[in-house]
Amino acid sequence: MKITRVVIAGVGGQGTLLATRLIAETAIKHGLNVRIGETYGMAQRGGPVMGHIQIGEAYSPQIRPGEADALLGFELAEATRRGVTYLKQGGLAIVNSKKIPPVEVISGISKYPEEGELIKLLKSVSSKIVVFDATSLAGKAGDTIATNMVMLGALATSDVLPFGEKEIIAMMKESIPARFLELNTKAFKLGTEAFRESK
Amino acid sequence: MLLMGNESIVRGALEAGIRIAASYPGTPASEIGNTFAEVAKEMGIHFEWSTNEKVAFEVVYGASMCNQRGMVSMKHVGLNVALDIMEMAALRGVKGGLVFVSADDPSQHSSGQEQDQRWLAKQNCVPALEPSDPQDAKDFTVYAFELSEKYQLPVMLRTVTRVSHMRSNVKLGKLRRLERKAEFDFERFSYVVAGFDELFYGREKEANEKIAKIKVEFDTSPLNKLVMTGKERVGVIATGQTYNYVMDALVKMGAKDKVAVIKLGTSNPLPERLISKLLKGVDKVLITEEPDPFVELHVKALAKDVNPKVELYGRMNGKLPGEGELMPLMVDSVIAEMLGEKLPPNPRAEVEKEAKDMIFGRMLTVCAGCPHRSSIYALKRAVKAVKGDIHKVIINGDIGCYGLAWAPPMSYEDTYFCMGASLGVSQGMSQVGVDTIAWIGDGTFFHAAIPALMNAVQTKTNIKVVVADNSVTAMTGFQPNPQSGKTATGEPTVSVPIETIARAVGVEHVEVTDAYDIKATEAAFKRMLQTEGVAMVISRRVCATEAIRRMRPKRSVPYEVNESKCVGCKLCLLTFGCPGLSFDEEKKKAIIDPTICMGCGVCAQVCNVGCIHGMDE
Repeated sequence: MKITRVVIAGVGGQGTLLATRLIAETAIKHGLNVRIGETYGMAQRGGPVMGHIQIGEAYSPQIRPGEADALLGFELAEATRRGVTYLKQGGLAIVNSKKIPPVEVISGISKYPEEGELIKLLKSVSSKIVVFDATSLAGKAGDTIATNMVMLGALATSDVLPFGEKEIIAMMKESIPARFLELNTKAFKLGTEAFRESK
Repeated sequence: MLLMGNESIVRGALEAGIRIAASYPGTPASEIGNTFAEVAKEMGIHFEWSTNEKVAFEVVYGASMCNQRGMVSMKHVGLNVALDIMEMAALRGVKGGLVFVSADDPSQHSSGQEQDQRWLAKQNCVPALEPSDPQDAKDFTVYAFELSEKYQLPVMLRTVTRVSHMRSNVKLGKLRRLERKAEFDFERFSYVVAGFDELFYGREKEANEKIAKIKVEFDTSPLNKLVMTGKERVGVIATGQTYNYVMDALVKMGAKDKVAVIKLGTSNPLPERLISKLLKGVDKVLITEEPDPFVELHVKALAKDVNPKVELYGRMNGKLPGEGELMPLMVDSVIAEMLGEKLPPNPRAEVEKEAKDMIFGRMLTVCAGCPHRSSIYALKRAVKAVKGDIHKVIINGDIGCYGLAWAPPMSYEDTYFCMGASLGVSQGMSQVGVDTIAWIGDGTFFHAAIPALMNAVQTKTNIKVVVADNSVTAMTGFQPNPQSGKTATGEPTVSVPIETIARAVGVEHVEVTDAYDIKATEAAFKRMLQTEGVAMVISRRVCATEAIRRMRPKRSVPYEVNESKCVGCKLCLLTFGCPGLSFDEEKKKAIIDPTICMGCGVCAQVCNVGCIHGMDE
């Protein structure tokens, strides 16, 4: 049976979990089995966050190296770090070009790699890479905090998930409080447009 | 319904009709308490964030002796703190069902150690249940209460991080209220009524007898499932969430009909007859579990009696690592080997290495705007001024966000061990002539430091104590503590200020300072360092992340760098290192990311040329 596998990579505080939950809730609504695993030990403190989603008849959320159908990278370096491990050959990578330098870069211990170098490395596992500045788009929608919805919009527009934009937007209306809904749907739409334009 | 493992446990407890729940926050258990805090009022139950895990356990045990069901939850090391009372509850027995959750953390995602608490269940004759996913977590919890009352024992529900934090679809049962009258059971628990000797001596025998009966019950329990046709030559005993890895591996290899599997949900006591059936029926058996070979050791002993020829695979024969979490690939390759197949090595090993060389590790640090960063900054300056060298004093840290003081660029903390230990170890160092500062947070102070503080006063030990007080238990998700002035469910209550306690136990030099005011805080630290005997500074300012939560949907005004004034010296980056700061290599100027900046303004105090100011200034 077909299992859909998505890896989400980012940094604590980027709202990766809300994006993951919306995907899972939409899946459940459509009668699909879904498993989510997140590692976020001390993510609030600037640490890396990674989420695995398996939709279909999987027992564990954990994806094996080289088996993810898609990578949703909320931060440039984190996208490459996780992508090279998990993204399958020819899988789709949607990457936010936003850089969040960690404390070792801020304090001069190491350097943030060039965008070109990072993307080149990611390309060694798949050439299907879409890079855009999701954080700026979220800013345009009203608040950079909605970066997660921009990313989700882009993923929804691809054909990776067993459901599309409409189904996810319906779920957003159900599970996001009314006062945040406008910002989030606006950001989501900007994500769908960014993905279409990239093609 | 999409539920997290920890939320499912709460649901299970509510379906079992609990009356009371208590916890102390700690990852990966915290969401159990957070969820109780959210629903307690509506469900008509009592929930509290207790001062520590021992208190939490005692509170629930008290209600149990009065025939009420209750749940205690904590992270694995919390059970070390609660162990005294857990052992007594196991020996004296319970009345109302008492289930305690030990959320273990194999591979230390957010812990100082990966202690396997199933050994404590074994040691204390307590049954231990291990769910594999959120559905199990709910169903096992409901069953655990029945089991607890049937055998009058506390029951351990043992999760690991990947079960506590897994989310999946859960089928719900009915919420229940038991409406039992709360009455202390004199016949069972009163020394006077039940008889002192009867209650006090020889209880181990009774506990052993209970466990022997439970062992038989577990042989046919739905928590354990054996799938075997009799044609397989290979078997697996898959414990808790490792069952998921085993099944995914078998599906992937198309080997489901070649391998007999026990899904093991009860790790103490083991269902020996069920396991014997597998041991007798195959040539090779793999045991998967996390993190210690706890089941494996007992299976090995059992195999000696039932089938000494069976070959055992697992952590003890070196086919799986001796510690840490299992990963799916590890399980794949052992099963393949047992089936006489060989899997290709990790296809990504080479490119992963390239990425590792290219990309930083992303070290942890305290958040943008964190008051601890400014406290440490001020402390370094004060020690340098008074002692001449920042390393003339040993900084003994403690458990909490401020424990990240060791991280660059602050790099100012030498040790931390377990809750409250900063005060104790500092005293030993001081007694043998080594200068120390105990660096502890507000939540940890209440949890375990007060006896140590009284010890220092009584023994006239020359220690200095800095309380990094951010007014919440921040690292685990902003839970209140005794100083917060509110209960777990948000009701106002009496606040217990740390300075009041310190003065009451005899600390004469106690000062409170605003952590965001570097000059004032540095001056307070200097006075503390120049005081003989026990001296304390409470460096207080609410957690920045919590402050932002409280002002939502409003946001604080970020700070910015005046480019014409910035000289590009990087002082702010190299000595302060807030995550909101970075450096524009082309312009050679510092920049502040307004999406990260919390508007605390401390970097403006650090800057020597006055180039940083609020955007509204």
